[in-house]
Amino acid sequence: MTDWRDRYELVIGLEVHTHLKTASKLFSPAPVRYGDAPNHAVHPIDLALPGVLPVLNERAVELAIRLGLAIHATVNPVSVFARKNYFYPDLPKGYQISQYEDPIVSGGWLEIDVALDVAPNVALNAKRGETTTRRRIGITRAHLEEDAGKSIHDDAVAGGSDSAIDLNRAGVPLLEIVSEPDLRTPEEASSYLRTLRAILRALEVSDADMEKGQFRCDANVSVRLKGETAFGTRTEIKNLNSFAHVEDAIEVEAVRQIELIEDGKSVVQATMGYDPDRRRTHVQRLKENADDYRYFPDPDLIELRIDPARIESVRASLPELPDQRRARFESEYALSPYEAGLLTTSRTLADFFEATARASGSPKAASNWIIRDLLRVLKERDLEVEQTALSPDMLASLIRLVDAGRLTARSAAEIFPTLVAEGGDPERLMVERGLEAVSDSGSIDRFVDQVIAAHPDVVAQIRSGDDKPLNFLMGQVMKASQGKAEPGSVRKALAQKIRG
Amino acid sequence: MSQAETILSGSLQHQREALDRSEITASDLVQASLARMDRHAHLTAVVTRQDEAALRDAEAASRRIAAGAARSLLDGIPVVLKHNIVQQGQLATCAARILENFVSPYDATVVERLRAAGAVVVGRANMDEFAMGSSTESSIYGPCRNPWDPARSCGGSSGGSAAAVAAGIAPLALGSDTGGSIRQPASFCGVVGFKPSYGRVSRWGLVAFASSLDQIGPFARRVSDCAVLFEQIAGHDERDSTSLPQPAPKLRERLDGDVAGMTIGLPKEYLVEQGVDPGVLARVREAIAVLEGAGAKFVEVSLPHTAHTIATYYLIATAEASSNLARFDGIRYGRRAKDAVDLEDLYRRSRSEGFGAEVKRRILLGTYVLSAGYYDAYYGKAQRVRTLIRRDFELAFASCDVILTPTAPETAFRLGEKSGDPLAMYLSDVYTVSANLAGLPALSLPCGLSNGLPVGLQLLGKPMDELSILRVGDAFERLTPHHRLTPPEVA
Amino acid sequence: MARVAALARLALSPVEIEAMTRDLEQILTHVASLDALDTRGVPPTLHGFDLPTPLRPDRPAPAMDPELAVSNAPARQGTAFLVPKVLEEEG
Repeated sequence: MTDWRDRYELVIGLEVHTHLKTASKLFSPAPVRYGDAPNHAVHPIDLALPGVLPVLNERAVELAIRLGLAIHATVNPVSVFARKNYFYPDLPKGYQISQYEDPIVSGGWLEIDVALDVAPNVALNAKRGETTTRRRIGITRAHLEEDAGKSIHDDAVAGGSDSAIDLNRAGVPLLEIVSEPDLRTPEEASSYLRTLRAILRALEVSDADMEKGQFRCDANVSVRLKGETAFGTRTEIKNLNSFAHVEDAIEVEAVRQIELIEDGKSVVQATMGYDPDRRRTHVQRLKENADDYRYFPDPDLIELRIDPARIESVRASLPELPDQRRARFESEYALSPYEAGLLTTSRTLADFFEATARASGSPKAASNWIIRDLLRVLKERDLEVEQTALSPDMLASLIRLVDAGRLTARSAAEIFPTLVAEGGDPERLMVERGLEAVSDSGSIDRFVDQVIAAHPDVVAQIRSGDDKPLNFLMGQVMKASQGKAEPGSVRKALAQKIRG
Repeated sequence: MSQAETILSGSLQHQREALDRSEITASDLVQASLARMDRHAHLTAVVTRQDEAALRDAEAASRRIAAGAARSLLDGIPVVLKHNIVQQGQLATCAARILENFVSPYDATVVERLRAAGAVVVGRANMDEFAMGSSTESSIYGPCRNPWDPARSCGGSSGGSAAAVAAGIAPLALGSDTGGSIRQPASFCGVVGFKPSYGRVSRWGLVAFASSLDQIGPFARRVSDCAVLFEQIAGHDERDSTSLPQPAPKLRERLDGDVAGMTIGLPKEYLVEQGVDPGVLARVREAIAVLEGAGAKFVEVSLPHTAHTIATYYLIATAEASSNLARFDGIRYGRRAKDAVDLEDLYRRSRSEGFGAEVKRRILLGTYVLSAGYYDAYYGKAQRVRTLIRRDFELAFASCDVILTPTAPETAFRLGEKSGDPLAMYLSDVYTVSANLAGLPALSLPCGLSNGLPVGLQLLGKPMDELSILRVGDAFERLTPHHRLTPPEVA
Repeated sequence: MARVAALARLALSPVEIEAMTRDLEQILTHVASLDALDTRGVPPTLHGFDLPTPLRPDRPAPAMDPELAVSNAPARQGTAFLVPKVLEEEG
C-alpha cells in the first residue's frame, strides 16, 4: 500500500486521564500511594461499604482550576458530579463518580510543535535550522473523576481461574482532558501529549508518569479523503500507555480503516485495544453493545461552586508555563524560537538549561550542547534528562573550560559521553586523559615547524599569495597535536612562520 | 412489673431522675429492656440482640452516674437502632439476605454521638428490606407485629423501631425516613416519630436507600424525649456532604406548651373524606379542636401538586436506589452465590438470590427510569415536579407556621393485606412523602384510637424549623391523654 | 424487561419477569400522570437546599487495617478480594 498520507487525512481526538497530585483520594481521606500490597491504602469509602459517603478533595479542585487556566479555558462557576453506572469488579460502588453534562473546565486550547514536512505552506518562511512550526489544538473539556481499582489476572492468583481485586487505586483523583478532533497525524498526537504533559508537570498538577499509570490516553481515530469536510466513522483505541504506542496505534488503526474503505467495506464504530507486540489493533466492543451508563447527578454531593475570587487566587499562584518560559528564553538568553521551543518541551529540561546557562555564563553554548549533544543521547536511549548522570554544574564547567581555551571542542566532545554515563568533574577528566589544550608557544612551535617542514609545496603556495591551503595546514597541526593544540595560537604561529 | 420495668415504661425525665437519684442503675434499666425483649420476642421487633455489649456499656454508665459524671441526659438509657445504621463490630443487615452476615468495620455518626452521650444500644430493630416498604413484612426475620394487635402490621419501614418503643422494650429508638418510614409506623404503633429537616442528621453510616430523601430520626413516647435524642444526634458532620452547616439546635428547653398565636395550615387536598378512614379523620378533627381551644389559629392552605407526589417520589427514590444498591455484588462483602460459572453469573445470581421481590421491583423501576431514552420523561420530569412540590410548600408556609395532616390515611392494616399490591402500598404514603421531597421536618404523634388502633397526627414545618412542630406537638401532648395509651398486652 | 434486568444484573425467572412486568406497567401508568404537568422552565431539584458542595482539606487519614478491609469478603487471597477471572478490560 502506498503512503496513506497522499490521499487520506486522519482525524484524531485524544482523551487523557491524568492522576492529580494530591495526598489523599478524590472523595475519601485514604492516602494516595503506589506499590502498596493489595488494599493497604484504602478507607471504608473506597470499599463502598454500606453507609459511606463522598466528600470532595479541595486540592483536586484547585489543580483542575490550574490546568483550566493554563489551557486558556473557562473554569465553570458551577459544575456537577454525576454517577456513571456500570458493573465491574474494580468499581466498588457499581458506579463511578464523574462529571458529565457540567464539567469543571471547558473550551480551552494549547499550542503544539508540528513538523514542517506536513505543513509545507509555512516551510518557506522557516528560518534555517528550524523544522517545526506551531499549531493550536482545541480542548473541549476537562473534568474530575475517580479512578477504579485494579484487577490482577496473574496466573498465580488461585491457580489462574480467579482474578484478585486491589482497591488501592480506587478513588485516586483523575482529570480527564478531552481534545477537539484537531489532530491530523500520529506525530501531532504525540506532540500534543508531550506538550500537555509538560504543562501538567510545570503546574505540578500531575506527575504524569506513564509507567505508573498516572497518564493514560485513549485515541479517537477516523479517516477521510483529503478535501472532505465530514468526519468518517471513528473508533476509540483504549489505554495507550506510552508515546510510542500512541503513535504506532494511531498509524496502525488508520491503515486498517483505510484498507477497509479501499476494499469497499466500512468502518464500524467500536472500542479497540492495541497490542504493541503484534502492532495490531483489535475490536474490544462494538458501539451497539455499549453499556447504558444511566448518568444522573450524584445525590450524595451537591453542585460544585467556584467563586471568581478563588479562580483569581489560583491564577495569581500559577507557576511559569512552558509557553511563557519559551518566550522568556528567547528574550533573556537570545535564543531562536526553535531553540527555546526545544528547551521547554519539559520542565526538567528547561530547568537544566537554565541552570547550565547561569552557571556557565554562556547561554548560547549551553543551548548548543543540550540541543546538539544531550537531546540526541536522550532520544537514542529513551531517557529523561534527570535519568542521566550529567548535572548542569558539570556541563557548565565543561563549557567554561572550552571558553577559557583549556579544552578544545574536540576534546570536550570526548569527555561529554562519560559525563552523561557516569558523571564526574570535567577538569579532572581532562587532566586524567591528558586532554588539556596545548597553548604554550614552545609546544605549538614544535608542531608547526614539523608540519611546515613536511609540506614545503603547500607553504610555497601560501607564500605566493593563495591562503586557501592554510586550513589544510591547520588541520595537520591539530592532527599532530591529537586535537589538543589551541586553534587560535596555532593559526597565529602558522601565519607568523610562513609569512615571516 | 419490677421497679426498673416501671421506670423503663415512663418518660425519659423519670428515667433520668431515677438514675441520678440512684433509685436504679443503668444496668437495671438495660436488664429490664432485655427482659422485655424476651417477653415480646413474638413481635419480631428487635431481631438482633447485643446483650453482651449492652450490659458492658450499662456497667460503665452505672459507674459514671454513681460518680456524678453522667455524660448527658441519655447516659445509661437503652436505645434500639434500626438495622440499616452501622455500628462497628455489630451486624447491620438491613433485614436483607445479601447482608445477612455483614459486620460493620466502622460506626455511623449517630452511633458515635449516642456513645458520646452514654446511651446504650440494646439491639437492632426489624425493618423492611433495605427500608423499602410500609409494613415491615419484607424482612429476612419475618414480619414485625404490631403490639396493639399482633395480627396487624406495625407499619414500615422502621416498624421494628416503632414497635420496640410501643412495647416498652426501650424508651428511645432510631429509624430512618425516606418517604414516611418513621412517621407511618409511629402512627400505627401509637408512639412519637420525628423526621428532621433533610441535612440535619448525618447520613454517614446509614445504608442508603434514596440519598436525597433519607434522613435518620428518633422514636419516643414523648415529644420532648424525641427532642432530647434529636439534639444529641443532629448537627453538622464533615463526612456527609449533604449535612447542614449549623450545629444542633437546642429545642427541649424551648418546649413551653404555648401555641397561642401560632398559625396552623390545613391543606385542603389532604383533609378530604375520600380515601381516608373516617375514624382517622374524626381523631384529626378532634385534635384541631383541641389546638384551636388552646389559642392556635387555623387557616386553609393549598398544596396543588399533592396528586403528583407519589409518582414523583417513586421515580426519584427508585432511581437513586437502583444506583445505591449496585454495590451489593457479592465481591467485597455480603452474600455471594455459590458455584457461579463466571463473573457475570456471580453478579446475577448473588443479586437475584440476595434481594427480595420488593427490592428487585424497585431496582428494576429505577434502572428503567434512568435508562437511555427515558431519563428526561421520568427522572428528569420528576426532579422538575419536585421543584413544583417544594414551591407549593413555600407558598403555603407564607401564611402559616405549621401544617397539620393525618400521618396515614388509615390505621394499622392486617399483615399480608397489601403485600400483593405494590401500587396500593405506595399510595398509602400519600401524606408522608412530600416532606421528604421538600426536605421538611415532620412529626407524627398519637391523637387517639380508632377501633382500638392508634391514629397518628402529622405536623410539617418549614425547612430547619423543627422547633415549631415540636412545640405544637408538645403542647398537644400536654392537653391530651393519648400519649399515655399503651397497647393492651403491654399494659 | 429483559434488557433492564440485564442492566441491573438481576436474573429473573419467566414467572418473575411476567409479574414484574405487570407491576411495573401498573406503576408506570400511575406515573404517567406527571405528563399532564407543564414543567418547561422549571429547574430540577436534587436536594431541597441552596448550598454548594463542601470541600475537604487534602490531608490523608491513616489507611484502614487491611485485615479489617477484607474481613467481610466472601473470597479472598491475602488482602485481595477474589472474583472469577475478569476477561475484558473496561474503560
